[in-house]
Amino acid sequence: MATYDPLFNILGLRNWCDSGSAGSTPASMADLLVSTGVDKETSILDLPFPSLDALNEACGAFWQSRDVTTGVEGGFLAMKDALRVVLDPLTQPLSWILEGALYLFQSTPWFIMVPLLALVVYFASKSIKLVGFVVVCLIGLAFVDLYDHAMQTLAIIFVCAFLCVLFGVPIGIAMSRSNRLQRITIPILDMLQTLPPFVYLIPLIFLFSVTEPKLYGIAIILYAIVPVIRLTDLGIRLVDKDVIEAADSFGMTDQQKLFGVQIPLALPNIMAGVNQTIMMSLAMVVIASLVSAPGLGVLVLRGIRNLELGVGLVSGLAIVLLAIILDRVTKAALARVNAAQKQ
Amino acid sequence: MSDKVQVSIRNLYKIFGTNPQEALRYVLGGMSKADLLKQHGHVLGLKDINVDIKEGEITVIMGLSGSGKSTLIRHLNRLIEPTSGEVFVDGDNVLDYGEDKLRELRRQVMSMVFQKFALLPHRTVAENAGTTLGVRGVAKMDYLKEADKWLDRVGLRGFGNHYPHQLSGGMQQRVGIARALTSNSPIMLMDEAFSALDPLIRTDMQDLLLELQKELHKTIVFITHDLDEALKLADHLVILKDGFVVQQGEPQHILLHPNDPYIEDFVSDINRARVLRVRSIMAPLTKGLVPTDTHGEINIDDTLESMIAKSGGDTSYTYLVTRDGNPVGTLDMSSLVLALVPRVASEEGARQY
Repeated sequence: MATYDPLFNILGLRNWCDSGSAGSTPASMADLLVSTGVDKETSILDLPFPSLDALNEACGAFWQSRDVTTGVEGGFLAMKDALRVVLDPLTQPLSWILEGALYLFQSTPWFIMVPLLALVVYFASKSIKLVGFVVVCLIGLAFVDLYDHAMQTLAIIFVCAFLCVLFGVPIGIAMSRSNRLQRITIPILDMLQTLPPFVYLIPLIFLFSVTEPKLYGIAIILYAIVPVIRLTDLGIRLVDKDVIEAADSFGMTDQQKLFGVQIPLALPNIMAGVNQTIMMSLAMVVIASLVSAPGLGVLVLRGIRNLELGVGLVSGLAIVLLAIILDRVTKAALARVNAAQKQ
Repeated sequence: MSDKVQVSIRNLYKIFGTNPQEALRYVLGGMSKADLLKQHGHVLGLKDINVDIKEGEITVIMGLSGSGKSTLIRHLNRLIEPTSGEVFVDGDNVLDYGEDKLRELRRQVMSMVFQKFALLPHRTVAENAGTTLGVRGVAKMDYLKEADKWLDRVGLRGFGNHYPHQLSGGMQQRVGIARALTSNSPIMLMDEAFSALDPLIRTDMQDLLLELQKELHKTIVFITHDLDEALKLADHLVILKDGFVVQQGEPQHILLHPNDPYIEDFVSDINRARVLRVRSIMAPLTKGLVPTDTHGEINIDDTLESMIAKSGGDTSYTYLVTRDGNPVGTLDMSSLVLALVPRVASEEGARQY
């Protein structure tokens, strides 16, 4: 006798309940315990919440909680094939780009790669001190034989951050121009930002094969694209109304206004978004080593799996070093943009 | 200076709110601004404005904050759309313009100077000054040359490669003026252009504007809340209050014959000796006879202040007034002293506005 029996009796659903396959659903552990145990005295304090499982006890035809999860799973698996047909070719270029970038970063000899990166840092920051710091860090990483792993991580971050900017900035611009689009997009961005990073991997594993680079590429991009979209939208909306009015009064077209006024004035905010995006890609690329993303994350994972304390800690610190390098370089670039347009 | 009317505003109404057309019917039915706000939640911005702006003149629109002057100037290039009315520029109704023609008007015919300068912080001074040409598709090489010419003209030689944030407020507004001049448009709209500057710089800028105007003869619409500035610059003065025109006309005339207590209160604070000129108070020659017992010749455009200095304060003097060397009237110093006293200055209650 279950607690909610009277409910179904009053509603006149008893027949429906009993006609349901009460015994045919596999019994849960709780069911087994109940069937073997003795009926206890029940007080009002023990009144269970009318959850699916509690109601199912009273009425065998009612759904169980596990039906929800299996339903979601079934639904996803049913969609999977159709989704694959669309997504697979669409995302295939991502695999190629990632493979290409990984090949490029690994096959370039270190004595070319390090000066090349130093040059990039110089053009981004125009600071010799920062270039020195980056070179010392890279040499330090290479010295403890983490160079290859660090380059793999860097290659993935470069590709993913670049794609984030490529898609994120136009989305942000579109959002800044339409309040309706902003209303629709913001909940999606909120969801992408709050979803635990591991959860991104679950549906992707079912969609693509784990050996494909695009699997982790998509996970990283979805996770890291949020700040650049948000800050582009914000930056353009924050552009001084007086300047916009002036641009209108000179007869600027929408396009002239966008590229000549709005984007340049929003650039400090957009750059702040790019900085955040790069840092979030780095966070995700470590987690993505669970689904075969190469790089420093693999070593961290090895440290956890095999309890190799040293390997895990050293590669963890190497990730911190990479994070500092990326952060400092993008911040230096941001500071240069800011200095150029003090009001 | 010709008498040709270049911009003409006819029966212009602007109502801010959710349903301005319905509110317009109440206003046309005689409802006041306060009642409209209280009963229908709509703000009456402009009410039945009729102003003719003559070619080559400085028309000053003056009013306190909230009087609708900035709203009015934005109707000329349609940064704000009116609720009803017409704005003619060179005979064409601007409100009939489509997007392309409107853009053409803003690019070729009207340029604007802003209170907060509104320069582009990421572009150099010369690039800023050339923006108005750059927008039209003029190549950078060419517009920088033109911009440099105008930067020279407003006293910013050698600052072309600076960025706006490196300049002081007064210099930034010079860039703003150079930007408007570079466009070579016949009409210049100046929205409280000097209000954000400190008093000394403001005087400098007013002098600069008058000097430029002597040479360029643009049609200038100037917005200000400062009566001294208005009287100094205006060929034609329009005084706005609560969105309608209280009085308009020649500034000297308004000063001597205010038709509203609001304006009387305004003008009673003015240093009249500096603003009034001989022409406003002289007596014309009687039957063309040139008197011979005068104490000297004076120009018709001299200010009363300079006359007081010239006479040494002696009110018994009489001067012969000349225009371009020809005698046109006489000035009695005692009438000058009378003209310095505002008509209602001593009256209690004039300040209730």
